[in-house]
Amino acid sequence: MQQPALDIKDLRIEARTAGGVRPLVHGVSLRVDPGEIVGIVGESGSGKTTLMRSVIGLLDRNVRVTAGTVAVHGRTVIADGVDETRTVRGTEVGVVFQDATRSLNPLLKIRTQLREVLDRHRPDLDDAQMRTVMTEILERMLIRDVDRVLDSYPHQLSGGMCQRVAIAIALIADPALLLADECTTALDVTTQAEVVALLNELVHGSNVGLAFVTHDLALAADLCDRIAVMRDGRIVELRPTAELLADPRDEYTRDLLAAVPAWADLGDGNRPTSAPAAG
Amino acid sequence: MSTPTAATEPVVDRLATEPGDGLATTTGAGVAAGSRAVLWLALPLAITAALCFLAPLLPLPDPNEQNLRNTLQPPVFAGGDWSHPLGTDKLGRDMLARLLHGGQLTFIIGVAGALVAVVPGALIGLAAGFARGKVDAVVSQLISAQLALPFVLIALPIIIARGQSIWVLLLVLGLTGWAPVARVVRAEAMSVRERQFILGLRAVGASGARIMFRHVLPNLAAVLVVLGTLQVGTAILIESALSFLGMGVVEPDMSWGSILASGQDILKQGWWVSTIPGIAITAVVLLVNLLGDALLVRYDPRKRQY
Repeated sequence: MQQPALDIKDLRIEARTAGGVRPLVHGVSLRVDPGEIVGIVGESGSGKTTLMRSVIGLLDRNVRVTAGTVAVHGRTVIADGVDETRTVRGTEVGVVFQDATRSLNPLLKIRTQLREVLDRHRPDLDDAQMRTVMTEILERMLIRDVDRVLDSYPHQLSGGMCQRVAIAIALIADPALLLADECTTALDVTTQAEVVALLNELVHGSNVGLAFVTHDLALAADLCDRIAVMRDGRIVELRPTAELLADPRDEYTRDLLAAVPAWADLGDGNRPTSAPAAG
Repeated sequence: MSTPTAATEPVVDRLATEPGDGLATTTGAGVAAGSRAVLWLALPLAITAALCFLAPLLPLPDPNEQNLRNTLQPPVFAGGDWSHPLGTDKLGRDMLARLLHGGQLTFIIGVAGALVAVVPGALIGLAAGFARGKVDAVVSQLISAQLALPFVLIALPIIIARGQSIWVLLLVLGLTGWAPVARVVRAEAMSVRERQFILGLRAVGASGARIMFRHVLPNLAAVLVVLGTLQVGTAILIESALSFLGMGVVEPDMSWGSILASGQDILKQGWWVSTIPGIAITAVVLLVNLLGDALLVRYDPRKRQY
């Protein structure tokens, strides 16, 4: 059987603040299989970003994992207070952040930034091979004028183009798991659709699992195979997208669905995607 | 309503023609203007520095050659003659020769004094701002302690204990100059390390040292250029002030500060002895500071256009 790309079991995360210890995530379990897109949906403060940050060990200083295990591609990286997430950063896990234009170093050309990741994770390649890998990965991102993009500084590229480059950086070392944290939020709607389509094509039918964090249930519904709805540090509902949309069991999920304006107006039977009519 | 139409017409005209031929040339002109500003500020500085360092090769009298029968000759523009274009001082020494020879030490102390302050200050500030935690706590206390000590309180005991020399002067400039640099660099490093691309670099597994030196430090370049040039000016001014107090450069060495100081008791009889090096100091410090600003604009890639 294939190893899950991400396997989180009963993860608990706490923040130590001036007011005492505050739990952020209470006992979340989540699995992402290779070639699968799992959406993690919830409002701000529901703990979805904290959950994702814990997988790569980049929590804030006062935040720590207190219990539970995390395994990436069959390798346990968090268990019993031991954190080995450092060993999978960039190699087994790639991350795409919210604002693409700010997730690249403004002073370096795209070529240099891609090259740096390759230098670290694929030191076996020579110069020519690295150039080939860089060109190929950008072509996979459906970038047409690859050479121009490689020779540009981030500020010379559009937000959507920067996000493609960020995805390329996340995927260049061939990770088993891709984490996308609100990665389309800062983009306009058309660009957002392009990036979502790209992620869809990159993940489905590949060996990469994608955990897609968003506050936008409609977006998650378009892209994800399964959706986990998070509230107050708990997953209140985790089911295949079509089922979840057709028959939300949790009251909070129903509230979220009702909050998507177009769907609320359309009525239950007319929800988009492949959702079968309720009942 | 015919007037509004008439009024908007030229605007429409302008909008129609401008984007086409306007954009390319304005951006090109912007870069050219930036380079030109750097050139026009660097050129006089370079020429001044070259004249100072080539002074021994120029047909000038020995700057320390006294002529007590020819003291306090005014410069040519104040009624003097061309044998001493900038006049002579109270010992009859040629002011032009003294000015150019004195400039050597002034420039050396300016640049070296900036380096001894900016290099350690930047490294300490970078380490504190990037590492945070205990390192930061210790460094912050040191910076505060350093900034609480008056300059003279540090400078005078060291100079008195170690004697007056250029090395002691650089030691004083380093000891007093690192703290303000470290404070600014620390704050900047703290803000850069919170930027999203740093998180992204951690996420691809880049090491702390690599992030610090390859990604945070270059993003501080703008600050460092400004701090560095300001520090050149500060070093020159501090050297001048110490020389004025008799704590800096000693005869027969000379700097603009010491020449300025040597004229203080004869301001009424020979105003030029103090005024000419004073103008030189002001002009050079001003040019250096303007050059810092121009470099900042020219070499920040975000302000570059193609």
